[in-house]
Amino acid sequence: MKLNRISIIMLILCLAGLSLFTHALVNNEQRRTKQQILAKGNYLTSLIALYPIRDFSLERRDFFLRTLNEYTSPEGLVYFYVHDQQGQSLLSLAPDNLAARIPADIQSKSLYTMAFTQQQFHPQGFDHTIYEFAKPVFENGQKTGTVRLGLKLEPAVLFSMERVQLVGMVLFFVAAGLGLFYYGIINSLKPLSHLNQNLKRVCWDPEAVAGEEVPAVGITPVISNLEGSLGQVQDRLGRIEAQNTQMAARIGAVTFEKNQILNILDSIHFGIIIADHQNRVIHINGYMLKLLKRSRQEIIDRPAGETIENETLRTALAGMDDIGPSPTGKTVEAVYPELAPGEVFQALFSFLTDQDGLSIGKMIQIKNITGEKIAESAKGDFIASVSHELLTPLTNIKSYSELLMDDEVTDAEMQKEFYNIINEETNRLSHLVQNLLNISKMEMGNLTLNKGTVRTDWFVKDCIATVEGSAREKNITIEKDLPDIFPSIIADKELLRTAIINIMGNAVKYTPENGRIRFAIAEQDKTVLFEIEDSGYGISQEDLPHIFDKFFRSGDHHITEQKGSGLGLATTSEIVQLHEGAIDVHSQIGSGTRFTVRIPKEEYRIAES
Amino acid sequence: MKKRGYRVLTAPDGEAGLKIIRAEHPDVVITDIMMPKIDGRTLCEMINGLEDDRPLLTIVMTCRISHDERIWVEAMTDTIFMEKPFSPSLLVDSVENYFSRPQVNRC
Repeated sequence: MKLNRISIIMLILCLAGLSLFTHALVNNEQRRTKQQILAKGNYLTSLIALYPIRDFSLERRDFFLRTLNEYTSPEGLVYFYVHDQQGQSLLSLAPDNLAARIPADIQSKSLYTMAFTQQQFHPQGFDHTIYEFAKPVFENGQKTGTVRLGLKLEPAVLFSMERVQLVGMVLFFVAAGLGLFYYGIINSLKPLSHLNQNLKRVCWDPEAVAGEEVPAVGITPVISNLEGSLGQVQDRLGRIEAQNTQMAARIGAVTFEKNQILNILDSIHFGIIIADHQNRVIHINGYMLKLLKRSRQEIIDRPAGETIENETLRTALAGMDDIGPSPTGKTVEAVYPELAPGEVFQALFSFLTDQDGLSIGKMIQIKNITGEKIAESAKGDFIASVSHELLTPLTNIKSYSELLMDDEVTDAEMQKEFYNIINEETNRLSHLVQNLLNISKMEMGNLTLNKGTVRTDWFVKDCIATVEGSAREKNITIEKDLPDIFPSIIADKELLRTAIINIMGNAVKYTPENGRIRFAIAEQDKTVLFEIEDSGYGISQEDLPHIFDKFFRSGDHHITEQKGSGLGLATTSEIVQLHEGAIDVHSQIGSGTRFTVRIPKEEYRIAES
Repeated sequence: MKKRGYRVLTAPDGEAGLKIIRAEHPDVVITDIMMPKIDGRTLCEMINGLEDDRPLLTIVMTCRISHDERIWVEAMTDTIFMEKPFSPSLLVDSVENYFSRPQVNRC
């Protein structure tokens, strides 16, 4: 239906076009004919007017008639007159007998013209316009007559033979062109049909059958099918593009998460090596790269055994496959004497498994346990030291007690000496136990201050009295630098006493015989200063930063020679911090040591009852 | 020890003790492990290295016998342990029992 409507419109348009063309052709033909007539009339009139009047006598009349016949057609010639000077007609040829219809003014103008004249008129009852041409005849400069010629337009011949031939030729070429065009279209339909099939296949059209040729059923259906297929392809491409965008976003998210995980692995403070089933490294973190002093590119995809650079670990890795996956993995200790001298590492070998419990690779975690080893060794040393410190005085107490109980000692002086020894050893034990308890409470966060007013004059006397005996044994002088007015402070008296006695006890211990210890107390900027200075062996610059560490004991032989648990100064430091105070130490090997303890003064408020 | 008729010499540290051992050639040496200057283990090793006039018995006083201590004491000749605290009579009895046996054994 649509097609017919289009055909009718096309037909109407063709007819309109054809009529317009015909009209234009006719107008063109008439214009051309008119120009021909005007030219012809002008020429003939001028030619004939060249002859003298006498030539228009009967002898030459045929000549002029032949001339007219030669240049005009019977349909075009209306009349031909030759007049003498008086206006009498010498020669006339008027097939239509129009002489009477020629308007008088036209005739008059033509007869009396002295030059070429061209006029046109339309006589009544005559279908055509007549073009009159007039030219005077001159002889010896005198007008002797007038030539008048009347012509009309010859009917336009649209379809002359020549024209028909030309049109025929044009139509032939047009038809041939259309034929070829149609043939070309038909031929192009086949690949278009194939293209259509392939496009449908791309779009997963269930109607598309592989390898089956679809006959060309016509240009319009093929083009419309192609249009549909291209639309489907466009949709499909759109979906693929959307899927690609989603995929790119997912890949981006996965890459981001992977980079996050790699960053996390690189920030971990122990080494991680992950290997596949062929023991080839697929990931190694920054800690491990730093330890091995290698770059990631040198290690990835290399055998893990080569990477580890440690025979013990290499053996353990090789043995993993024999053991198989286990919940706890396998732990091995190793050292890297060249890469990390003095350090101890613990390697944990385990299998990586997926959600179904299947092995997907191996993981080696390498942790620096040097600190733990030192701590373990320090604890071991501490336990040995504390045991010795506890059991030695106990042995002495037991021994001397048994001797006294068995009446082995009869001498009173010796008995007194034994009682003194028992007393001193008991004090020593008590002091050690107190330190241990304090440290333990500090470790657990249970140590609380029992603050009260502390009279520093009594406090100083008490502290000095505690160490006086040991100092006297080594002939060490204790100098007192005390103020005239003793400041009082608010503090936990017992803990503060422990802190100061620890320092003073060290001063006695680490000062050689005949040495000197100065004990000073002063008030400065709302702070009470306790200063203990000795002329002892001094502390090295290397050891100074560690003297307040728990269990620390210098390796200096002057220190190791003496008994000690490594807890005294640690306890002192904690107690001073609990009092919101500060402790400084200045020391030089061979020049002695000075400890300064600052305890802030507090306002003592009496609670309102 | 004196009451039982032994002549007892004392030293404040391992170094002084070694000097006395070399000078006096005691029959029995009773030593602690943790001592100034030369510790008990070093002293025992030095005693072990003496060829002539070495003590017949060395007693090492220790807080608690550890595996390491047991190993190095067993490597010494004529050396025994005594765990603290111990009574003086036990010490004396141990010495007398050691010398009363036909063949001296290591504990």
